[in-house]
Amino acid sequence: MEFFTVSLINGTIYGLLLFMVSAGLTLIFGMMGVLNFAHTSFYMVGAYLAYTLQTFIGFWPAVIIAPLIVGLLGVVVERWFLRRVHRYGHAHELLLTFGLSFIIAEIIKLFFGNYPVNYQVPASLSFAAFRLFGTDYPFYRLMMGLVSLLMFGLIYLLLSRTRIGIVVRSAIYRPAMAETLGHNVPLVFMGVFGVGAALAGLAGAIAGAFYTTNPNMALELGVLVFVVVVIGGLGSLEGAMLSSILIGLISSFAVGVDVSLADALDYVGAGQWARDLGGLMTLKVSSLAATIPFALMLLVLLVRPSGLMGEKE
Amino acid sequence: MNESTNKVLPGLPGSAAKMRPDVSPTVSATASPATSLRSPAAVSLASRLLMVSVLLLLLIAPFVLPQALVNAAIQMLIAALFATAFNVLAGQGGMLSFGHAAYFGIGAFATLHAMNALGGAGLLPTPLLPIFGALGGCLLGLVAGWFSTQRSGVYFSMITLALAELLHALAPHLTSVFGGEAGVSSMRMPAWGLSFGEPMHVYYLTLAWVLASLGALFFFTRTPLGRLTLGLRENAMRLKFLGYDVHAARVMVFMISASFAGVAGGLLAMNNEAGNYVLFDVRLSSEVVLNAYIGGTGVFFGPALGAAVMTFFGYAVSDLTRSWLLYQGLIFVVVMMFMPNGLSGVVLWWQRSQRSSAVLARYAAGWSLGALACAAAVVFSVELLQRVLGSDYQSQLVDAQPWPAITLFGRDWLPGAVSTWLLPLLLLVAGGLILNRVTRAWDALNEEEAA
Repeated sequence: MEFFTVSLINGTIYGLLLFMVSAGLTLIFGMMGVLNFAHTSFYMVGAYLAYTLQTFIGFWPAVIIAPLIVGLLGVVVERWFLRRVHRYGHAHELLLTFGLSFIIAEIIKLFFGNYPVNYQVPASLSFAAFRLFGTDYPFYRLMMGLVSLLMFGLIYLLLSRTRIGIVVRSAIYRPAMAETLGHNVPLVFMGVFGVGAALAGLAGAIAGAFYTTNPNMALELGVLVFVVVVIGGLGSLEGAMLSSILIGLISSFAVGVDVSLADALDYVGAGQWARDLGGLMTLKVSSLAATIPFALMLLVLLVRPSGLMGEKE
Repeated sequence: MNESTNKVLPGLPGSAAKMRPDVSPTVSATASPATSLRSPAAVSLASRLLMVSVLLLLLIAPFVLPQALVNAAIQMLIAALFATAFNVLAGQGGMLSFGHAAYFGIGAFATLHAMNALGGAGLLPTPLLPIFGALGGCLLGLVAGWFSTQRSGVYFSMITLALAELLHALAPHLTSVFGGEAGVSSMRMPAWGLSFGEPMHVYYLTLAWVLASLGALFFFTRTPLGRLTLGLRENAMRLKFLGYDVHAARVMVFMISASFAGVAGGLLAMNNEAGNYVLFDVRLSSEVVLNAYIGGTGVFFGPALGAAVMTFFGYAVSDLTRSWLLYQGLIFVVVMMFMPNGLSGVVLWWQRSQRSSAVLARYAAGWSLGALACAAAVVFSVELLQRVLGSDYQSQLVDAQPWPAITLFGRDWLPGAVSTWLLPLLLLVAGGLILNRVTRAWDALNEEEAA
């Protein structure tokens, strides 16, 4: 019961964090058809910027300012890089963001070194929220989840209830038509790209303090975020939410399951045979935890290619 | 070399055209090959001469090069084959794979296990063992290809990435196959009267395999399936209407690409006599993408050129700088933005242009000069920053004392002085101005023509 409850809460909060990063990615894809490889680099830049700024201006101002700078960086990337290669096609845009992610990681290494930096939760925030089965549950974890939920609510309201939201959605759905009706679609693209980058930066600024902040964090999270976005359906915000929580829960439960395929086969009497076979059969689920999201993604792509909630293919 | 490749790939940037059929940028907007000033016969002769001389150079290389460079040459050959194999799928087939390290790695492990099992004796002596790399790559390519080619475009890229990551995450746990942290190691056994202990033997073994593979891949572009590959990129729907089984064709192209990636992996395994699961790392997958696109995917030998050049640079500067990966990324982004058809695209541009060589050379020289000035500025800033921010230097600093000078390019530079940073800034501005001017003049020249 303890394992179940703790994994449930941790998994949900990890999922909410994944959502913060994948929200921007899925919106950008839905709108421009660009799968932005540099998106988790924005997450990393957010963490490093907040780490640098907090020594000068304190934690909260840093967490607010770092995403704004990252948002500006996103605008620069869209306006002066992506727009330039737009005419060569989507594959070219994908490759360009891929190259940019490479450069960002190397610049981070240049300035901060190829090792984790000491970015920590400020003392004023590191207290226990409540006690759970005799251990303190950190308040900061809950706060990360709340920030993410708040963000989801805000984006959702913005997109579904405001005039800006209507323009953005129409630019996503039929860019040419929206442009014909007199809306400045390139500006909308730039804005969404900037906001998406800022959201990733915010996630980095907040999560970097709790998890480790190192030059590989973009790559590590990057592949997982792609999985989330593809499973949820490229371009769908609700899908991204659903699959983020799904992946969060799976990753958090899988590391604690000490069962192998051979153990499962015991029930049909083939356990010993499977154990003799070795290899994949005797691997514990816990050591396979990293592979489960990928397997799930393959399954979704083959069974329901547009993702759980996606409409476009 | 380009007379033939022009026909194979009419200057379209592969995958771009596939995902977005309405845009089809050509290398040179001014002229088509038919109206070129340079006659096809002359181009053909020149490219044949070039090819023969490159071949001769490769053959005599180990006699004139020092041993370290022979090793670098082996790496270049392997990278060239890997990039060419990748390009069959990405450039010709329009399927951008982000997980090609998987097939490379499988090829390496298959070869290592074959080396251990056969010991270089019997029907399959040491020089023939990379065939197991091809076999391994082919089998994995069949499975992975069957899954990933169910979808196309971005989804295809994501599936290949996920499959490679799946293997990468799984490999450390499958110790019986991939040997865990320690990996699998083996020995090159003597065969055919050769010891394979000297780098020269390994070099010729690699060269023979790479040349044979490149020949086979070039021949493939001339086969009906090779022609069909281009159709897969350009308009798969139309192929379907013509009655082709598009999925089967895609799987076959995938398998061919994976097999030759496997050969490249096998050659690396033979060269290193060892390998571990790091071979499946995403870094290797991204490197081949970078190399192929820097070289240019529109020409058959483009990716090989890119891979050879980048591997050589990597070898040459990795002793001098710790920032090679940064430069690699910068080169890639610059190529993507300003030379969308890669290095080989420049060659095509030259050949297809109607202008005289003198005019082209003048503009090319102008662009190169501007680019060199900018590159010098970037390299200077990066190297200085890297030294200033390095832990060696930071530990020397004393509070309230000016920062000591740094020796770079044979001179002392004060990191705190404005003049130090003025130099790269001036270079950058000068380079930018030159580039801007030359590009404007070039545009004006073309507009004049059009008017």
